[in-house]
Amino acid sequence: MGEDTGIQTIGLKQTEKRELDIYEKLHILTDAAKYDVACTSSGVDRRGDGKGMGNCEKAGICHSFSADGRCISLLKILFTNECIYDCKYCVNRVSNDVRRTSFTPDEICRLTMEFYRRNYIEGLFLSSGILKSPDYTMELLYESLYKLRTECHFQGYIHVKAIPGASPELIRKVGFLADRMSVNLELPTAEGLKLLAPHKSRKNILTPMRLVQKERDENSRELALYRQTPKFVPAGQSTQMIIGATPESDYQIMKVTESLYKKFELKRVFYSAFVHVNEDKALPARTDDGPPLLREHRLYQADWLLRYYHFQADELLSEEEPNFNVLFDPKCNWALRHLEYFPVEINRADYEMLLRVPGLGYKSATRIVKARRLGTLDFADLKKLGVVLKRAVYFITCNGKTMYPIKIEEESIARNLLDSREKLPQEVRNLGYRQLSLFDDVRFRENFYEKDLCV
Amino acid sequence: MKKIYVCNDTITGIFSAIYDAWKEGREEKECGIALKGMLEQELFCEYLPVEESIHKEQAVERLIKKHLGGQAYADIWQAALAADRDKGDAIYGTMLAARRLCDSKKIMEHLSHPQVERVFELSRKVGSEAHNYKGFLRFRELSGGILYGGIAPKNRILTCIAPHFADRLPQENWLIHDKTHHMYAVHEAGKEWVLVENERIQEERLGQVSENEQMYASLWTAFCRTISIESRENPRCQMQHLPLRYRPEMTEMAGGV
Repeated sequence: MGEDTGIQTIGLKQTEKRELDIYEKLHILTDAAKYDVACTSSGVDRRGDGKGMGNCEKAGICHSFSADGRCISLLKILFTNECIYDCKYCVNRVSNDVRRTSFTPDEICRLTMEFYRRNYIEGLFLSSGILKSPDYTMELLYESLYKLRTECHFQGYIHVKAIPGASPELIRKVGFLADRMSVNLELPTAEGLKLLAPHKSRKNILTPMRLVQKERDENSRELALYRQTPKFVPAGQSTQMIIGATPESDYQIMKVTESLYKKFELKRVFYSAFVHVNEDKALPARTDDGPPLLREHRLYQADWLLRYYHFQADELLSEEEPNFNVLFDPKCNWALRHLEYFPVEINRADYEMLLRVPGLGYKSATRIVKARRLGTLDFADLKKLGVVLKRAVYFITCNGKTMYPIKIEEESIARNLLDSREKLPQEVRNLGYRQLSLFDDVRFRENFYEKDLCV
Repeated sequence: MKKIYVCNDTITGIFSAIYDAWKEGREEKECGIALKGMLEQELFCEYLPVEESIHKEQAVERLIKKHLGGQAYADIWQAALAADRDKGDAIYGTMLAARRLCDSKKIMEHLSHPQVERVFELSRKVGSEAHNYKGFLRFRELSGGILYGGIAPKNRILTCIAPHFADRLPQENWLIHDKTHHMYAVHEAGKEWVLVENERIQEERLGQVSENEQMYASLWTAFCRTISIESRENPRCQMQHLPLRYRPEMTEMAGGV
């Protein structure tokens, strides 16, 4: 649609051009923004004030799903795709020949408000290329948000990018208008960054991240005293890194993630499977396999284990085994290597141990703990609670009995689990046992970096 | 003989039936609650039409809130909106089960009880459908500036989602049309929303959209198409999150799935 209108625009009279322009701009600046992963609208609960427009729900709301299966919750656009940087993985790098354009703050407000009142979106996700300088760009983002919040009285969700290198004062001002802020880590290690994003530095990325963390900390103390204090980035900050453009191992990535959660108190770390958009000799060679989606999936599974399941990165991977198993999810893999803890008795095991059983989620575990206070549970009861037994059945007992005779032994459980395995891509399904922990981008493994694991 | 209380499929109806059964001290096996229009005749039963009233509804509401707690009430209320023939029995069974617990406020944790589990499941179904519609509902602007949104839900979720939109769009005139159950939620700018049933709204006026409507609808459709990354395309994943039954009413999906 956008492409067509683009062609039509050429040669049209000036008077007619303005309206067509917005179609074209939206197309260009959406296309340029789509590689950003986060589209979550969660983390903040806010009632409307009865005068403006909008509210927020803690759990977040998905408004649609695009053809790639990702949720559309926010109007995800760039302010501009004009950029002075030359990051090798990015579609908008300065040396690429693409059509460039910018929104005006008014256009962003109009689109957001009109989309929002039709219930298309939950709010705005505003990112940007670097126009002239970081400060200049940040100022434009601020202007857009300020208009949206004060002139349009918009009370919905706003996620905005903090531009690395922008002045602390500007980032502070923007933080009071936004719900979530994020600075992209881009690549897991400083070496990777130097190689692929020559104009960015690790220090410049971590500085605003630290700033937002400190500011949030101060703000929460202030809020404890004065409830009416304006809130600074109430939904917290997130970041994302590109997976598979540089040769880091999963272990290195998980260590980075862990320290981001611990040292920077991030709400989320997102992983983005590297998509080939540019040709560059510093990038991995193009293959027909598409982005490393399974690897991305495994990283998200492990990420969940860190945040909700009390796992440590060192429990999941190690120097000797630096990559996730292709065939088993990280929790299953851990359980298979630690059969000494199993089987777990459903009626007695503590909550933390239930969380470690493959196939049991934190919701199921909570329900089990509550339900067993009112009576002993057997396998039929577990099913009623909505517990999926497919994988769990090899690791649990109810009243001392397994569901059917099971040998607690790595070989046999692994074989059984593989029979009922999750949906894996065709290439992986055809792999045999021997290639258990190979990854699609394995050729990188020969010379992976060893230093600079932690941020 | 087993007594079966027959009521309308509304909160008032179901709660009134519960009121009658509870007052007569019926145990679970001696009675049932059936919905008009979904009646399955059984032998050796006496069918009693329920006299429905707001008074009875409120009495049951107070009873549940007092003894089972606010959270359990929320679950029961949602379960009563479900598209399910036996929901009345499940709710009544849950209330009886609560009596036998030493702490009746913990009733919704007693999931190994079949009726409690049923209420829990129904409530979860209704809750998740309502949550989906908070996102998937689409308004279109009619010529008078009124926002119109049509939905076709399985359960009676209109009362679950209307407060959300009233809070979100307080200064707009909007109406949401539940096509399955022929009900409307109507909101006038700056006022409370109201539920309208059995009333005709001039259907032909709903077709006339405002001048700018087409522009925003196509901007949005184009946005949804552009935001997808081609090399990651995955229609099955899309289907899982956004089942086909929601799509006919959605602006960006219209004219092709």
